[in-house]
Amino acid sequence: MDPVSRPATEPAADYAVELLGITKRFGAFTANEGVDLRVRRAGIHAIIGENGAGKTTLMNVLFGLLQPDEGEIRVDGKPVVVTDPSVAIRAGLGMVHQHFKLVPSLTVAENVFLGMEIRRNGLIDHRAQEEKTRELSERFGLAVDPTERVGLLSVGIEQRIEILKVLVRGARTVILDEPTAVLTPQESRELFSTLRGFTQDGMTVIFISHHLEEVMEVSDTVTVLRRGKAVATRPTSELTKAEMVRLMVDRDVSFERPARAATAGQNILSVRGLWARDDRRHPALRDVSFDVRAGEIVGIAGVAGNGQTELAEVLSGLRPASHGSASLNGQDIVTLSPAGVRAAGLAHVPGDRMVRGVDGNASISANLIMGRQNRAPWKKGPRLDWKAAANEAAKMIQRFDIRARGPGDTVRRLSGGNIQKVVLAREFTNEAPFLLIDQPTRGVDIGAQEAIHDEIMRQRAKGVAILVISVQLDELMKLADRILVMFNGRIMGSVDGDTADEDQIGLMMAGIPQGSVEAAA
Amino acid sequence: MEVLTSLFNVALLVAMLRTTAPILLVAMGGSFTTKAGIFNIGLEGQMLVGAFFAVLGSIWTGSAWGGVLCGVAAALVFALIFALLVVTFRANEVVVGLALNILAGGMTISLMKAVFGTRGSIVGQGIVGLPKVQIPFAREMLGSWAPLISGYTPLVYVAFLAVPLLVLFYRRTRLGLHIRVVGEKPEAAEALGISITRIRYTSSLLCGLLAGLAGAHLSLGYITMFTENMSSGRGFMAVAILIFSNGDPLRVLAGCLLFGFADAFSLRLQTFGYPSYLILAVPYLVALAALFALSYRARPKLIRETAETMRRFLSAEPDKPSNPRPQ
Amino acid sequence: MSLRLRAILGQVIAVAFALALGSIVILLIDESPIRVFTTLLRGAFGDPGKVAGTLLQSTPILISGVAACIALRGGMFNVGVEGQLFLGGFAAAVVGFGLDLPTGLHMLVGLAAAILAGAVWVAIPAYFRVRFNTNEVVSTILSNYVAILLTSYFTIFLFKRPGGWSETPPILTSAHLPELFDFSRLNWGLVIGLVLALLTAWYFRNTPGGYSVSMTGSAPRFAEYGGVDIKKRGFWVLIASGAVGGLAGGVETLGVHHRFMEGFAPGFGFDGLIAALLANGSPIGTILTALFFGALRSGSLLLETDTAASREIITVIQALIILSVSAQVLLRRRGDAQGGERRWKF
Repeated sequence: MDPVSRPATEPAADYAVELLGITKRFGAFTANEGVDLRVRRAGIHAIIGENGAGKTTLMNVLFGLLQPDEGEIRVDGKPVVVTDPSVAIRAGLGMVHQHFKLVPSLTVAENVFLGMEIRRNGLIDHRAQEEKTRELSERFGLAVDPTERVGLLSVGIEQRIEILKVLVRGARTVILDEPTAVLTPQESRELFSTLRGFTQDGMTVIFISHHLEEVMEVSDTVTVLRRGKAVATRPTSELTKAEMVRLMVDRDVSFERPARAATAGQNILSVRGLWARDDRRHPALRDVSFDVRAGEIVGIAGVAGNGQTELAEVLSGLRPASHGSASLNGQDIVTLSPAGVRAAGLAHVPGDRMVRGVDGNASISANLIMGRQNRAPWKKGPRLDWKAAANEAAKMIQRFDIRARGPGDTVRRLSGGNIQKVVLAREFTNEAPFLLIDQPTRGVDIGAQEAIHDEIMRQRAKGVAILVISVQLDELMKLADRILVMFNGRIMGSVDGDTADEDQIGLMMAGIPQGSVEAAA
Repeated sequence: MEVLTSLFNVALLVAMLRTTAPILLVAMGGSFTTKAGIFNIGLEGQMLVGAFFAVLGSIWTGSAWGGVLCGVAAALVFALIFALLVVTFRANEVVVGLALNILAGGMTISLMKAVFGTRGSIVGQGIVGLPKVQIPFAREMLGSWAPLISGYTPLVYVAFLAVPLLVLFYRRTRLGLHIRVVGEKPEAAEALGISITRIRYTSSLLCGLLAGLAGAHLSLGYITMFTENMSSGRGFMAVAILIFSNGDPLRVLAGCLLFGFADAFSLRLQTFGYPSYLILAVPYLVALAALFALSYRARPKLIRETAETMRRFLSAEPDKPSNPRPQ
Repeated sequence: MSLRLRAILGQVIAVAFALALGSIVILLIDESPIRVFTTLLRGAFGDPGKVAGTLLQSTPILISGVAACIALRGGMFNVGVEGQLFLGGFAAAVVGFGLDLPTGLHMLVGLAAAILAGAVWVAIPAYFRVRFNTNEVVSTILSNYVAILLTSYFTIFLFKRPGGWSETPPILTSAHLPELFDFSRLNWGLVIGLVLALLTAWYFRNTPGGYSVSMTGSAPRFAEYGGVDIKKRGFWVLIASGAVGGLAGGVETLGVHHRFMEGFAPGFGFDGLIAALLANGSPIGTILTALFFGALRSGSLLLETDTAASREIITVIQALIILSVSAQVLLRRRGDAQGGERRWKF
């Protein structure tokens, strides 16, 4: 697997897959714009880009899960109209999704052959399936025990099964969407050697990743997507990590960092040695410690799924911590219920807006009451004063510029940005000393983004301690006084917002500790 | 001692197997819907219409098997309506199931009045019951234990044979496997082109088939009569069993035997003069106790798992990263 | 407002559709639908006595319906109203004939006993539901059978009226619910039901607690995030529902039968649940649907004598109504938010 040994120019027919001028729009939003992607046969082609750059959309178009608005797909030089995944599979493509689709109670072999079971006399021939699975797993170095139940296996092995599923369906080109996001470094290394084995077999690999280290390690060619466009395709050996980050990060539209006075006061939130587990009981937070002071915005950067969600849940009382402490205004909040944490001084804008943030079927008024139904002016005597609530709601609609017909409007009818403003209106008017904002502008249009950012800055000026979690780095670079970078449940380092540098943060997001870079603070 | 020996003897075991059969049949039916991820509270009603139409069919055709066929057909119609509303119209399955149960109760009584002009029960009227199957040489081989395997009505054998057949069905057939996948991980089924709708309809109809047989066994098996609401909660007990067995045929069998035993034992106690009302409550109490006890038992497992992760986690070097989950 | 109007219109269309289906069923049993429906109307509203009879039948349905509404609003099904009703009725009877208290107070103590009995009876299913997520539908259904058998046992073996049928001795007149008119047994129970429905509606609409319960039912994860203790709320919602179910039985005993007997109020609990479902969990709507079902029940008494149809034909019509309503809008919203039930659905 030495890229240098390849001839510099190859005939067109030696592309396994070609995407030509692919454009995919979702309403007004263009996810892919005129993307050209040529993937050489028997190579590993990495596609990198920030979140929302259009990587997954492009792969879904290739695999027939989405239909492109413009453009052509060629497989082995021949044009193919991929109307649905079965066409893609017949053309020799296979996709390993980011979220595995395995059935826990079935064995490895049953999962591999699901939907194309080997039968004898009308009954499933488990032995033949296990035999074939074993054969394939040995041939490609994907060590699995075909008879084991999937529910008992680790994520790394689950991924091997997903790959086997693709292979057994005869794929010659394997697409992997963020394959290492769920793997340990050791598992990643094993995966890479498997992938190299594929190319020696003449197969082709398309590999989507955030982790530049791995891209450097495994791929032959890199295509960088930025804002839906392919901005560069180069042999990996010609690029450095810093260059990749520069290509990925879109400087042109970076928000302008607002001027700010140094207002930081005393510590409001102190987190010390916090550990927590995720829903599958794997450690999700590892020894997290930081402070947030009054009048300060601390940003948490990181690729999604590196513990940010769990951090927000632990701090808001929705998830128990396994060790460590977090104190808010001097009160330990780790053991408190959501109501207790709120009483201690938390206001919380949740990341999952439609599930946690609102009741979509209720009115704006009703949504704005939540959490303070027992306080004036909403409560009057024993009653909930709906007239007062509607008045409050009308005020907030005006103040936060929520585009709605009135306080009685059903929340589900509003646009994403306006729903987010409903949540902000409720939480920002709680006069809480600590604001936890998870993904302030996810799914929100640009105009509303600016408004939300202005509102956050106003809260800062009022002396509120603010913790902003975002997967959008540019947003944090605009808002935060300090940016903490999370990777794999740990805080990799901290940089000063005024002097923050995307390359430096990008490296930490990729799991390279701050030590190698000179700290700004 | 004498009381004990007369309580526990072959006859009790025979009675147990006999009382187990109808609940086993209906629970095996519910196994299909449970495995396919449908909460089917409508078993009770399917069983009841099965029982009623079995009697009706038996009188019409003059044959027990004609009756069984009618009973199954009626239960299938109920199962189809259930699937139509729940799968196609996405109605709430609890509401639909309860409404179908109520419909079954009202319909059977109304039809009884319309057809027979009576209330309460249909007895005689030319109902042909199911024959008893005598296994050849049973007496020679087992002596006084022979009634254990011989002399039941055919549906008892069907009920117990259904257990290994269902085990085989879920393990070795495509349909069985796909039913499990649809219930457990529908997105996996969808990704592989398995139609969730088709599978759910199929399992609902299979369920109706067995629930109909269960009903026919009630009214044409050991007693040849139909009485108002004669399923008397067996369908609900089956649902309780299905909840804590997760529809696995062997565990369903174990649960049903427990109820069969409770049923047979309480009937036996009645002959000893214990008040029948309390005795009749025993099977329901057993069902409730099992439901609560088994949902309570699910907890230690969770604690164990947590402890295990902790151990694994503490024994690992602190720097070794594990698996963060993506969003 | 127009949204609510559309929802009500939808229910009306579903009811009409169900009545059409019911007519087909009636034709199948060789009876004329027109005759059946006019007989029903006559039986329900033919003269003042019949109207009073309708209201009398509506009372336990209304109170049971309110019980079911409370659970539905909290996102749960209390299918055990029937059993709670039996226990409540029994407890009220025991207090009614077993204690000797001044008029008025005696009645209140009887009702309190009924409420307590219903609440205690639902406590175990409620506890397991919120603590271990044990399906409350099955546990409450099964507990119905136990409740009915248990009360029958006590009635026949412990409190049997000497020489009489399977019923307790009559309660003392000091425990009677006063009657409203002299030509009917219609009593203050109806007023209790109406006040209860209005109070419940007011509670859900106008109090912080009611708001928290509604949010727990319709969007549990949002409520949890907002600081509502959804487990605690869920538990007390089921307890309240059971308590009202018990009250329904107490009112029936103290107001109508003046004793407890075997099979004393068959199916009222289920009718209440259906009425609540048809009203989409609204206590005010349940007043109307309970009246509707009460009229059906009351009218059905004439069916047996005047037509070839049995009175259970009304049960068929009720079930058809729920089925046709379920196919469109019924509980779609609450169904979606059923935290505990969702493991069955996707």
